[in-house]
Amino acid sequence: MKIKKLTALFLSGLMTLSIAGCSGSKPAASAETVSKDTGKQITLRMAWWGSQTRHDATNKVIELYESQNPNVHIEAEFYDFDSYFTKLDTLVAADDVWDIFQLGGNFPKYIKNIEPLDGYIKDGVINTSDTTENFLATTKDNNGSQIGISIGTNTYGIAYDPELFQKAGLAEPDNDWTWDDWKKDCITIKEKLGIYGSSKIDHFIAGVTMRASQAKKDANFFKKTNDGIESEDPAPFADYLKMIKELTDDGAYPDAGAIKEIKDIEGDYLVTGDAAMTWVSSNQVSSIVHASGRNIKIAPVPRLTKNGPYGMGVQSSQQLCISSNSKAKEEAAKFINFFVNDIEANKILNGERGVPIMSKVREAVVSQADDSGKIIYDFVDKIGNFPKEDSNVISPDPKAEIEDQYKLLIEKVQYGDVTPEDAAKQLLDFSKSKFQH
Amino acid sequence: MNELKTNWKKILYHNNTVGYIFSFPFLFGFFAFTLIPVLVSVYYSMTNYKLGQSPVFIGLENYRNLFSDDRFLNSVKVTLIYVITSVPSKLIFALFIAYLLTQKHSGVTFYRSLYYVPSLIGGSIAVALVWKTIFSRKGLANTILASFGVPKLSWLGEPHLAMGILVLMSVWQFGSSMIIFAAGLKEISPTYYEAAEIDGANKWQRFTAITLPCLSPIILYNLIMQTITAFMAFTQAFVITQGGPNDSTNFYALYVYNHAFKWSNMGYASAMSWVMLALISIITFLLFKTSKFWVFTEADQ
Repeated sequence: MKIKKLTALFLSGLMTLSIAGCSGSKPAASAETVSKDTGKQITLRMAWWGSQTRHDATNKVIELYESQNPNVHIEAEFYDFDSYFTKLDTLVAADDVWDIFQLGGNFPKYIKNIEPLDGYIKDGVINTSDTTENFLATTKDNNGSQIGISIGTNTYGIAYDPELFQKAGLAEPDNDWTWDDWKKDCITIKEKLGIYGSSKIDHFIAGVTMRASQAKKDANFFKKTNDGIESEDPAPFADYLKMIKELTDDGAYPDAGAIKEIKDIEGDYLVTGDAAMTWVSSNQVSSIVHASGRNIKIAPVPRLTKNGPYGMGVQSSQQLCISSNSKAKEEAAKFINFFVNDIEANKILNGERGVPIMSKVREAVVSQADDSGKIIYDFVDKIGNFPKEDSNVISPDPKAEIEDQYKLLIEKVQYGDVTPEDAAKQLLDFSKSKFQH
Repeated sequence: MNELKTNWKKILYHNNTVGYIFSFPFLFGFFAFTLIPVLVSVYYSMTNYKLGQSPVFIGLENYRNLFSDDRFLNSVKVTLIYVITSVPSKLIFALFIAYLLTQKHSGVTFYRSLYYVPSLIGGSIAVALVWKTIFSRKGLANTILASFGVPKLSWLGEPHLAMGILVLMSVWQFGSSMIIFAAGLKEISPTYYEAAEIDGANKWQRFTAITLPCLSPIILYNLIMQTITAFMAFTQAFVITQGGPNDSTNFYALYVYNHAFKWSNMGYASAMSWVMLALISIITFLLFKTSKFWVFTEADQ
């Protein structure tokens, strides 16, 4: 009898626990202005995506701002990239977007939810005297209105471990290495060291958008007007798919299961020592260096042909926007001004989102940079000095769906369901169909 | 004036009023968050509604497009495979454990609650993450294989293995079916068994001739509940495989989710949900229809 009672107690305890576990979600608070004895209390909601390093630094900056502006309280939400946009999409539908939110090159999709900043710049709430027209232009829409302020510029590259390259008897990549060189290096590393040649590559950039611009100078995959597909020839895309399939079969590139194990940049196979290279945006290099504790260098993305077009320039990695439904736009603008101009804040942020566009801030951040930071600034300067090309850095609305379809096509090629040639044709057909209404 | 007051009191102290007041929270929730959204989704399923844009009526085009969408047809296929493999395995396993746990041993109640634990935490993200870690490249499963000298497997990289992992996880969460089976087993009168024993029936004969028929209404209940749950499988695929590799675990609910929230195609996703409802209804209906051939009820006797 006693045992039965004990069991019942145990069970009910478990149930309580499980119920408590289910009801852990807290209701979303909205931007509200509350009057308190101390004056007008303002709550701003802010959200971003990124890695742990970014979450920690951004939260510290928010604390700093709150301590200087006791009447402002900022509720922070942070996610990984995919969850961020899922959440944003639902908030867009509910017309309840965060007051301050981070966006990248896919901003045209959310243009209706973004408050233009031109007025705040004119009134001096956001001070842009310390940057150039070119940097501001990276976050303007086609009509020339300022939809956000860039909080970092970056460019893509291949991060690699020079020590592993040396062990495999390979020369380090140079400025105009090709995808053929990259493939050979991957195979050699697999052969000599038994690890992946390369960790996860951003296939959609490397194999589609940037590749279109590499195959033909000044060409783009998406039309610059962002209402259709410019590429007609499937051959360059087919070659890329073929290369990835061969490397996967060889074990020099992770299969679909192994790719899914990579949670974030700190868990990348280059960091864990299971791969000698990985795809990065330049701002991620310091995260990789700190997480791995090894010497990591960064090389430009390989080209299609030696001395051929590079296919990508330096761009705004992300920007802060104010939502059009915000009830405290002025306060949000003040915070953005602090975020991009304040030296102390940017010393904390440490250029993790990319090279700052404000010159005084950039100087301050460069001067405190450690070796990994210096690598980033040198690299972004290097790519910035490549001959200028006319590439489209803004992505049209259906990009997310096309990209996911492409990821499926890659897996189909990897598992031998579709030939690379057919997959490339299917990619073009699918992409075109998404622009027909 | 006085009359009004007494009338008001009459209404207030009427039995039904109390009932309405107490059921108001539920009714409000049901209408605002269930019924109205469900009805609205009928309309959306006939529009090209994308999140952030205004819907345009396009009739049945979404439904027509569904049947030429290879990914959709594949998601129906893999969901059916999942249902057909996971539900029977889970029920057989649950029945087996329930059978063991109705034997007279000390500590049986303790074991019963212990085996129920996986179901309590079952649908959660945390368990899915644990599962993902177990079957990762350097996870527990591969470590065990390695200790037997078997080469490592890419559990989440092989389409069939990935599906197997999800089925296994579903089978592992057999607790709720088991509890219901155990309750059913206890209801079977011991006199049947005693009579069979006297007639010299062995354990297997007793099981097939007494236990199974007497338990058949409960099997039907579990079968239907688990089938519906399996059709709606989402968390495991979302967390562990993200539908991959090569769409081999792109379950129906996951595909609906991707269209709705990732690619903003709300209209298309609504149409898909309604097809899912139809599909589940048909299958449940068929299960009920077949039940008269194998479900034993005392009323028919």
